Amino acid sequence: MKKSSMKASALMMAAAMMVSAALTGCGGSGSAATTAAADTTAAADGAVTADVQKIIDAGVLKVGTKVDVPKFGMQNTATGEMEGVEVDLAYEIAGKIFGCTAEEAKAKKLVAFQGVTAKTRGPLIDNGEVDMVIATYTITPERKETWNFSDPYYTDAVGLLVLKDSGIKSIEDLDGKVIAVSQGSTTKKVMMEYIAEKGFNVTPEFEEFDGYPSMAAALSAKNVDVFSVDRAILAGYNDDSTEILPDRFAEQDYGVATKLDNKGLADLVNGVVNDLKSSGKMDEMLKGWGIE
Amino acid sequence: MIKDLLDVKRWEAFFKVLPTEYIPGFVVTLKVALAGLLLALALGVIFGMLSTTKIKICRFIARVYVEFFQNTPLVVQVFFYYACLPYVIGGRVPKFVLGVIGVGIYHGAYISEVIRTGIEAVPKGQFEAAYSQGFNYLQTMWYIILPQTMKMILPPLTNQALNLVKNTSVLAMIAGMDLMYHADSWGSDRGYFVQAYLPCALLYFLICFPLARLARYLEIRAKRTPVPKKPKGVA
Repeated sequence: MKKSSMKASALMMAAAMMVSAALTGCGGSGSAATTAAADTTAAADGAVTADVQKIIDAGVLKVGTKVDVPKFGMQNTATGEMEGVEVDLAYEIAGKIFGCTAEEAKAKKLVAFQGVTAKTRGPLIDNGEVDMVIATYTITPERKETWNFSDPYYTDAVGLLVLKDSGIKSIEDLDGKVIAVSQGSTTKKVMMEYIAEKGFNVTPEFEEFDGYPSMAAALSAKNVDVFSVDRAILAGYNDDSTEILPDRFAEQDYGVATKLDNKGLADLVNGVVNDLKSSGKMDEMLKGWGIE
Repeated sequence: MIKDLLDVKRWEAFFKVLPTEYIPGFVVTLKVALAGLLLALALGVIFGMLSTTKIKICRFIARVYVEFFQNTPLVVQVFFYYACLPYVIGGRVPKFVLGVIGVGIYHGAYISEVIRTGIEAVPKGQFEAAYSQGFNYLQTMWYIILPQTMKMILPPLTNQALNLVKNTSVLAMIAGMDLMYHADSWGSDRGYFVQAYLPCALLYFLICFPLARLARYLEIRAKRTPVPKKPKGVA
């Protein structure tokens, strides 16, 4: 009892130190913060854990993001640059690790982005191909057993995309319909829960696909009736022939995932996320990309 | 990797989904493989015989079939059926049918080549002898040539059958509800990839290995020199 409470208080202290360091360090984009950044970052603290030191030594932070989700993680086809709120978040974390601002991290190209899908993001963390994944990754209790997740930086909900001429108007029309969901995503589970909770008398069938383009193709060939993923992702596939149903359910939190063994890195990331949230910067970043 | 492999908790999770995910997937794979194999053998025999006839147009048709399906990837073919057939026939094609025509037509082309070379390896004198005895073309094929062909082509034919079983896993990419689909689905859901793929591989092995043994047995049996039956009542 005594031991555990001591442990807890030590943890809290560490967290408090982290937050204060982050606040003075890379939290704001103001000039005052920039000058302070150099001496109060993780790199300068002397309290760098081995896993973080490894990234500093490598000189580049390897981050897995989506490349096909507008406003979150999207590759600009004209410039080849990665864009989106999750990309900005990656630069904030890189700033914290390397002891600079997010802008400097971006200018110095301290982040190496790698495109991931719902399917590949887990294995890529485990085999060390990326240091962390910021890719509309929903936090679940099961996943927390396999990877570290930061506190949520955004809460999304699942949406349903249908063809306009399908006659489907709401989730209650989905009895016997085939729903395309992404492999390695939580969509199927949360939709079943939502249907059970609301007592709808519908039993849809689910088919899992590896990657959103193949799901979109399946929808347009009418091999499936519904294309269902998080609304943020769905927005990128909505066009003249399709519509997103008003149903909004199963709110889910996105977190930054790191390898389970890399506890030091996970703490650092969590510090950055919490700092961005408490300072209001996270909301600004989301608003900046037009995300509600 | 080794740590993950020996993780008891992960194996417990696997055995929980074994009856609900893996077994139904295994049954689908088995059905697709069996039906696909029958289709492939039928197509193989038909086109293999066509490519050994003297009629030019038949040989041409067989060539086109073989060359086209042998020289394009199976994945492309199956994706094509999946994405384009609905536009052509105006409705959804069941995944089982997609799988059967996918591997059936693809391996039919290979088997057709196996059978063609088998037929060509039978000495010409056998045909002439059969015709001189009054056999027509089909009778010659059925009674004289194909039985001899079978002995020679068993090993390459087995290769094709085994590849066909393994290639049914292409269905996983179009949500075919087969073994690979369920393994992949569960694996990427939980992140327990060792536990997802290793048993999946074993289950494919469970289909292929007995098939390979059977073929080997048949091959050995076929190679035995035929011994004439002893007529009854002779001392």
